[in-house]
Amino acid sequence: MNIEQNDNEETQSVGEYLIYGAKLSRRAFLGGSGALIASLALDPKLAFAAANGSQPTSLDAAKPASWIEIHADNTALIRTGKCDFGQSSIFTAYRQIVAEELSMPVANITNVVWGDTDVTPDGGGTFGLLRTNVQNLRKVAAYIREAVLTLAAEKFAVAKDSLKIKEGVIQAGNHTISYGELLANQNWSLSIPVRGELTSFMGIVVTGEPPMKPVSEYTIIGQPLKNPIVRPKVAGDNIWVGDVKLPGMLHARVIHPETLGSTLLKAGPLDKTLFANSQIVTINNLLAVVSSDEWEAVQAARSVEAKTQWSDWQGIPTTSTGLQQFLHDKPSWDDVPDMQSRSSKGDISLPVAKSHSAEYFMPYYKHAPIGPMVSVAEVKDGKVVVHTHSQNPQFLRMAIAKMLKQPEADVIIKTYIGPGHFGRSNGGNAGSEDEAALLAVKLGVPVRVQWMRHDDMQWSTNSSAMLSQISIGLDEQGRIATYQAVHSGPPMQDDRPIGAILAGKDTILPPTPDNPSFLHGLGIFIADTWVYGSVENIAETGRGMYQLGQQESPINVGIRDHSMRTPIQFQQNFPRETAMSEAAALAGMDAIDFRLAHITEPRFKAILERLKIEADWDTRPSPSPQARANGSEPALGRGVSIMLRDNGYWACAAHIAIIPDTGEVKVERITLVSDTGIVVNPLQLKRQAEAGCIMGVSQALHEEVSFDNSKLTCTDWQSYPILKMAEVPKIKVVIAPDKTATMYGQGSESANALASSAIAGAFYDATGKAIRRLPLKPDYVKKALSA
Amino acid sequence: MITLFINGHARQVKAAPDTPLLYVLRGELNVMTPKFGCGLAQCGACSVLVDGEEVRACIYPIIALEGKQITTVDGLPARWQQQRSLPNAPDRLHPVQQAWIDEQVPQCGICQYGMMIKATELLEKNPSPSDEDINHAMTVSGPSAHLCRCGSYAAIKDGIHRAAAIIKGAELITTNTVEG
Repeated sequence: MNIEQNDNEETQSVGEYLIYGAKLSRRAFLGGSGALIASLALDPKLAFAAANGSQPTSLDAAKPASWIEIHADNTALIRTGKCDFGQSSIFTAYRQIVAEELSMPVANITNVVWGDTDVTPDGGGTFGLLRTNVQNLRKVAAYIREAVLTLAAEKFAVAKDSLKIKEGVIQAGNHTISYGELLANQNWSLSIPVRGELTSFMGIVVTGEPPMKPVSEYTIIGQPLKNPIVRPKVAGDNIWVGDVKLPGMLHARVIHPETLGSTLLKAGPLDKTLFANSQIVTINNLLAVVSSDEWEAVQAARSVEAKTQWSDWQGIPTTSTGLQQFLHDKPSWDDVPDMQSRSSKGDISLPVAKSHSAEYFMPYYKHAPIGPMVSVAEVKDGKVVVHTHSQNPQFLRMAIAKMLKQPEADVIIKTYIGPGHFGRSNGGNAGSEDEAALLAVKLGVPVRVQWMRHDDMQWSTNSSAMLSQISIGLDEQGRIATYQAVHSGPPMQDDRPIGAILAGKDTILPPTPDNPSFLHGLGIFIADTWVYGSVENIAETGRGMYQLGQQESPINVGIRDHSMRTPIQFQQNFPRETAMSEAAALAGMDAIDFRLAHITEPRFKAILERLKIEADWDTRPSPSPQARANGSEPALGRGVSIMLRDNGYWACAAHIAIIPDTGEVKVERITLVSDTGIVVNPLQLKRQAEAGCIMGVSQALHEEVSFDNSKLTCTDWQSYPILKMAEVPKIKVVIAPDKTATMYGQGSESANALASSAIAGAFYDATGKAIRRLPLKPDYVKKALSA
Repeated sequence: MITLFINGHARQVKAAPDTPLLYVLRGELNVMTPKFGCGLAQCGACSVLVDGEEVRACIYPIIALEGKQITTVDGLPARWQQQRSLPNAPDRLHPVQQAWIDEQVPQCGICQYGMMIKATELLEKNPSPSDEDINHAMTVSGPSAHLCRCGSYAAIKDGIHRAAAIIKGAELITTNTVEG
């Protein structure tokens, strides 16, 4: 194919190449300094699923606002629909991965455009950032490199495979030319093949298999690049979501119902002599007070709330104190089909020499961001624009469009930096976004909805509880002959916006057994990947149910659940690993040695052996020779846990001290050893792992959602306490990647989940008594010690 | 009208005298670094310095602050510059802010505006804090513990030690320009 050199042609494509399925075409030069822009080619089959009722999206496949742009000055811009909640990956690892694939200095990637639905290409949730999601940009970068090499080969009349790229400069024998120089004064467009639907939960995925740079040639991946967003954050230069101000904006406070199932009987009166700038707005059961002055809105809402009448409702069939027993006694689990793990095999009914059987329980947790949800919505040029922070803005856009009965093309989500939500905002229902949109449309002015602390604690979604029965059968030699696990509980994914439900507006279907979406089908799948390869007989079952109170609620809500860090896997890994430590004791073996005896994966063996050294592990069976279950002096113990997640192998050791008489538990130190494969950024991985681990200690020691038959009763940081600085253990993070790994590893989720089971193992070691429920609050601890 | 001294500048405020400082800073004065976290003085995201002492802006009425010097994170560079009589430099950061970058302290960062205020209060009183001193400052010295949900506490500790080192280094070279 030839490239025509006529720059005076108007708009038609004047040259075309096919690059591993991507189409490279040169548009006539229309001014500017020149660039290569990688946009997405939509499969015509996707235009658009009117048959299944989804709305067409507004993204124009020909629109250049996509993926990667390389400019004449040899800088590049990347765009991603993924967001940042402090992980830094889109500002660090994503730039490193793209720069690596292009062989361009990472500093040349000067701009990351993220999260806004009108200017980013791919959508999908902000999860698995380095596992699956980054493959979009990585592939696009590979397509671009190949396209540019094709152009350079032609320019210098050499074979493409004779070219090399170093530091963003292409070398062809004695000739050198940078990406920017090659592209100067020309406008190239590269159409990238994709599949998927933009506003679906998973978004759009880049297809095709362009050649990838060999791992052995990596120089940028692996560098401890600092996060460029930290400086503006600490200098106060960023606009946080809560800082957004629009002309004429009203401040709203939503008065949420008195119970999860209440309907509005009568809104309280608004005293205009006290609150002259305020007004009450109701849409069905959605009740709000708005004012031009924020503090007035707060006070007026309090005043109205005090005299508002709601219907009573006591439909939650248990309370937080009775929840474990309720799940234990639940007469039938037939509403939702059971799910078996892929690892299940053999015959668990085989006779065994000894067995350990016990019940384990994890409570509901709150995501509990330090800043409660806040969003601003406006109607602008016929479009509804929501300024918020969401982990899946395109999915939120779908939900807002559905709620307002507007085409998705008329909804724009703008994403700002905001407090970490740890999964809660991944489905787009974190709270306040929908309420702001409803109020802005109704009032015709921009409206800012700031949830108060109690709104966030009582009306946001929760990480769901789980009851697990674990049986481990040992043979005469003390090796595991059979392993059985039954994990039972409510699901982890209700993506319906709560404001839309209260207002009686359209949402996606509620979670039900027959919901066509796998995510919303109430099933409990086995998320904790099996790691003990030598065990022959395994049966792992997940049993799902409706959300608590959902069927009893007149508005079909109940205790709403949503994924939170290591969703489901945390709930299944805690019982498995705690039971493994107890089974090790039954076998008379050290807890690490017992795991080593059943693991077949060399990478796990390597990190467990490394953990022994790094944690200064005292190899011996549990309980400790000094174990005690009473007294006022600390009893000391150590425990271990392991997890396989996102291609990363993790091992954790916890050293703890317990005062038996008071039930007080102090975590003294945690040692984490990880083999996450290719480490893109060791500095950020270390900080993420450290922080994730601290959150895990918080969940292990303190956290439990309290509720009665009507509502969540935790309202603030006293009724839902989290870990404080003085309680933070010494943390050692050891990053020990297998050098032959070919996949990128990621971090903080596993670190988050591992602490609890290692701490429970240490508890047994220190006291000789098992603790099988979280959190390790003094009351539960004393009960476990007296058992 | 109440006059508040914010980051070295006198500001006339229209808000009612019982309005909590946070709403005045953010709403009326566009000083945005103190963040709303709980409105209950339970988390520390809204902390500011008032005459060098940490105060929770979300509950503190402005009437109690007349004539007092209020510093937010926005004002930390100027505070440092003035304390050390340093030449004016627009890109300058306070050593605590610089340490937060060097140590990559924030995860999401929403709590860090209060954490940096508390760290500044601590370091102005105790230039060489031990881990125990830091634990005390961040957990029990104020109206409540300073809370971080992401779990950046270990990084915050590293940040405070580094800030202490930067401050000591700066003392040795106060005649030179200190780069931010």
